[in-house]
Amino acid sequence: MNRKPLLLVLAIAVMLTAACGGKNIVVLVPDPDGTVGSVSVANEGGTVVMNTANQSTDIKDRNTAPRPPSEMKPDAIERYFGKALAVTPPPPAHFILYFKSNSTRLTAESASQLPTVVAAIRERSARNVSVVGHTDAMGDRAYNLNLSRRRAEAVKGLLVKQGIDAAHIVTTSHGEENPLIPTPDNVSQPKNRRVEVVVP
Amino acid sequence: MRYQGIIAFALLIVLCTLRPCSAALTHAGIIKTVHGQAFVVRDGATLAAEPEMQIHPGDVVKTGDPGGIGMIFSDDTIVSMGPETEFAIDTYLFEPVEGKLSFIAKILYGTISFITGQITKLSPESVSLETPAATIGVRGTRVLIKVAD
Repeated sequence: MNRKPLLLVLAIAVMLTAACGGKNIVVLVPDPDGTVGSVSVANEGGTVVMNTANQSTDIKDRNTAPRPPSEMKPDAIERYFGKALAVTPPPPAHFILYFKSNSTRLTAESASQLPTVVAAIRERSARNVSVVGHTDAMGDRAYNLNLSRRRAEAVKGLLVKQGIDAAHIVTTSHGEENPLIPTPDNVSQPKNRRVEVVVP
Repeated sequence: MRYQGIIAFALLIVLCTLRPCSAALTHAGIIKTVHGQAFVVRDGATLAAEPEMQIHPGDVVKTGDPGGIGMIFSDDTIVSMGPETEFAIDTYLFEPVEGKLSFIAKILYGTISFITGQITKLSPESVSLETPAATIGVRGTRVLIKVAD
């Protein structure tokens, strides 16, 4: 009796199982700007921590410790995750627009940045634009909450004037509570007098 | 005249239980890319996924084959799913001013790319992905996960 064909079939079956599924895998990869973070994989069997590019582990079940990490080759990453990677949207665009002191008027430099914001909204067909107003720590909190609301509304108004649908913009006000540069109370800080626009 | 107050109060309750009122408070992110079969299961109803559709905590996002979906959350977290994948958003809290930061989700099966956002930057222990075989603590920045059926 020739056993070779049986062995071949078994070998192919093992390879297919390894390639298409049966396995739980976690891979740490660099993010779009090249940074590599850290990930922990834990269950009843133990914990594995990974912190270098393309390290991967696989996990048999909840009671078996995750396998010690090893490097996953780019072609394997593409084979397992290519379709998920292909639909990853680009990161949201962030813009910071600055204001004159105690005012809802943009600085000249920020006013000149508005067309870039409008272009980003159009390019991404964004219908969930977030406009968040902030102030510095001069004056009292309630006043600043109101000022930051008026700043956000002012930016919304400018975007609407440029043809963006008002229904696609949500404004929020954070007052003096969320400074870019933390300061003691009643300190003037131009970098905190701002509106942040997020275009996803 | 005495009923006016009661009517106004009842109207207020009705208004506040309507969708737009609660949606504005609970929206966690949006769908940005859709490929093939992609759905959102919300309150027992299955909705076809579309770009710019809002995602809420409690939503279950699913794909068929062929299928794919990409989402951007309000803290800049970016999640994308390959075909035959199910992703359930259990908790999403991004309120930096109040210090409320949490992203807890389940991956039931399929493939996912997860790029962390500001929640991880502000509170690295607050992003956790549950899978049937292990709990994945994502402290940054991009992690790929495959969960077998």
